[in-house]
Amino acid sequence: MTTLLDLRSVSLSSGSNHRLKDITLSIQQGEKVALLGQSGSGKTTLIKVANGTLKPTIGKVLWKGIELNKLKRRQKSEIGTLWQDLKLIKELTVCQNVNAGALGRKNALWALRNIFGLIDNENCRKCLQVACLEEILMNKSISSLSGGQQQRVAIARLVHQQPKIILADEPLSSLDPQIANDILNLLLTKRKNSFYTSPNTCVVSLHRPDLLEGFTRVIGLKSGEIFFDIPIGNLNKTNINKLYL
Amino acid sequence: MILNKPVLCILPILAIVPIASNVFYDIHPGGINLLYNFFSSALNPSFESDVLYAVFNGLQDTISIALIGWSVSLFFGISLALITSDIFYILFKVPYSIKKFLKILLSIPRGIHELVWGLLLLQILGLTSWVAILALAIPYSCLNARVFSDQINALDKASLDSLIQIGSGPIQVIITGLWPKIFPVLVSYGGYRLECAIRGATLLGVFGLGGIGTELQLSTQSLQFREVWTSIWVLVISIFCLEKIIERIKDINKIQKNIKHFSVIGLIIISILLVISVIRLGGLNINTSININSITLPSVKSLLIAINNIDLVKLISQTLFISLLATGIAVGIPPIMSMLFPTSIGQDVIAKIYMICRTLPSPLIALLLLLFIYPSLSVASLAIGIQNMGVLGRILKENIDRNDKFIAIAFEKSGASKSSSWLYGKFCQQSNSYLAYSLYRFDIILKETAAIGVVGGAGLGWKLQESLSSFAWEEVLIIVATFISLTMIGESLSGSLEASLNNKKMQSFNPTPNVSN
Repeated sequence: MTTLLDLRSVSLSSGSNHRLKDITLSIQQGEKVALLGQSGSGKTTLIKVANGTLKPTIGKVLWKGIELNKLKRRQKSEIGTLWQDLKLIKELTVCQNVNAGALGRKNALWALRNIFGLIDNENCRKCLQVACLEEILMNKSISSLSGGQQQRVAIARLVHQQPKIILADEPLSSLDPQIANDILNLLLTKRKNSFYTSPNTCVVSLHRPDLLEGFTRVIGLKSGEIFFDIPIGNLNKTNINKLYL
Repeated sequence: MILNKPVLCILPILAIVPIASNVFYDIHPGGINLLYNFFSSALNPSFESDVLYAVFNGLQDTISIALIGWSVSLFFGISLALITSDIFYILFKVPYSIKKFLKILLSIPRGIHELVWGLLLLQILGLTSWVAILALAIPYSCLNARVFSDQINALDKASLDSLIQIGSGPIQVIITGLWPKIFPVLVSYGGYRLECAIRGATLLGVFGLGGIGTELQLSTQSLQFREVWTSIWVLVISIFCLEKIIERIKDINKIQKNIKHFSVIGLIIISILLVISVIRLGGLNINTSININSITLPSVKSLLIAINNIDLVKLISQTLFISLLATGIAVGIPPIMSMLFPTSIGQDVIAKIYMICRTLPSPLIALLLLLFIYPSLSVASLAIGIQNMGVLGRILKENIDRNDKFIAIAFEKSGASKSSSWLYGKFCQQSNSYLAYSLYRFDIILKETAAIGVVGGAGLGWKLQESLSSFAWEEVLIIVATFISLTMIGESLSGSLEASLNNKKMQSFNPTPNVSN
């Protein structure tokens, strides 16, 4: 199996506060990893360190053997992130937001053309299809959509990015159970059409241990440290209880 | 094409197409050489002692004029703000209709550009520094009054109500309830207006009212570009230092903790500087060249004849045309520049260019452009556009710097280029408030066409200059009234458009410079 993401002795501290302590882990292609832990345990920080938005104080993060800060634009776009607050741009339409997923492969002129709405909608349509969103929403503004629909737009943007791994930060918080299941399904199920083949690797941070179906591995984080890192089959109530104590 | 807010902010850059094509054909023989000489002198300014002496002497005059004009406008601004704010009518039980009347009355002097005030006062008071001081003090007092009264009205009235209920007198309410809340705004906006006053005093100097502006104008007309750059650099450095000082002072938390100290020390410093300035300008000697008693009101008939002579429709169209093109340049260029040069070095260089642009008065930029381009509406638009681009560029940068940078970082880490990350992650979020501020800026630009017209040979400003030179007072009256009407219509139009943008509950721009110059 190929190692995609590799965190080597990563620590992150701000002042005297240790947000991550000596984390070493690697994510292999095909793994579906659930990150569990209480609020403030370091899940979001770990996702941010893994996608390069936060720089570790100590240690290294490698993507396919290359340090994150040495990646070329194309390589960076192989790491897709589904943010907790989605980071959609309210001033743009659904289609323009979805197209923004392709910015890693496109130049600034293309970016400007997308702002002006001068990009062909075909690819956007296919991405919306993968994210189970109706085409009719394409020209709607983001603020007119429901929370679940916005989540799907963010997923459609990820689809357009065509990443090799998805890092999802609490994608199910503030969603009702039915929508949460649908979104999780979207992230974990292999999807394929003429435009897109979903990556079979993902790291998803969750605050609810009852949503672990479909994952292959579970990492428990406590006070910025790895509390356990086990295959899903080895997870039992005792582990979970100790983690949330 | 989708006309969303980011597009509406960028689209005005198309104004550059007609301007560039006109300017290209209007470059006169030898113009390119002059242009080269001008820019090559930027790195080789004159350091000759007599030039330095004249420049620093001029700078001192400009600062003295600005300081006195600013202090007067601050005093009257605060006083007028109080008597046009809601709380005054509650405290002193004065009929509310007076407030409406006062507000309309104050909008008239505010609608006239300081240069027009300067030209009018020059006819009445003759060539004295007080012309420049009053030309700044009159419109600025009314501007300050509007901003401060808006801020007073926006305050939470609950604490004032509690003071009234326990039986405090009106003066006690103002000193203990109002002053501590409004003081940080006074410092922040007042500081900003001092910058405007220095720029305004420089502009008046370009029209012969003394100071560094006069030095700049003389050096420009005699093609002494090295001397021109000595003045420009001195001015830019002075404004830069002032901006830095104001930035340090206007930390609201610090001010609120030490209001007493800030008030007393501020008052002492301003008083000392005022005394020095008055001494420097040679005291209060006003030589009136016109017997004010001999001025009579023009008859309706003579006014009608004057309207016939003026061709008002053409002049108004020219003025609006200049304003629209200039707004296009001022609004459209900053986002594109920042997108093209998104690195921190690029942004720093652009910030310095904006600084030079906003320091130079637009008539001076027009004078420089006229060295190698024939006069036209495009030159006038370009000059105002460049100056206001400096202002809008700074505001855009400051607001983007204050905003959440994380979205742009997230885009960059997902492989987007720096330019695309800037556009999507930073600019889009600011587009609503940038658009709102741009609409407001159109009012300022409309006023500035008066000043540019005087130099650029176009629009109402040019006709005003002509009418003043020929003592055609009826024409002057009509032109000034037209300017006031245009400004008031512009203000109300942009005000309602701005309100509709702000109603969408998006972050608005810096609250203090809502009415600026």
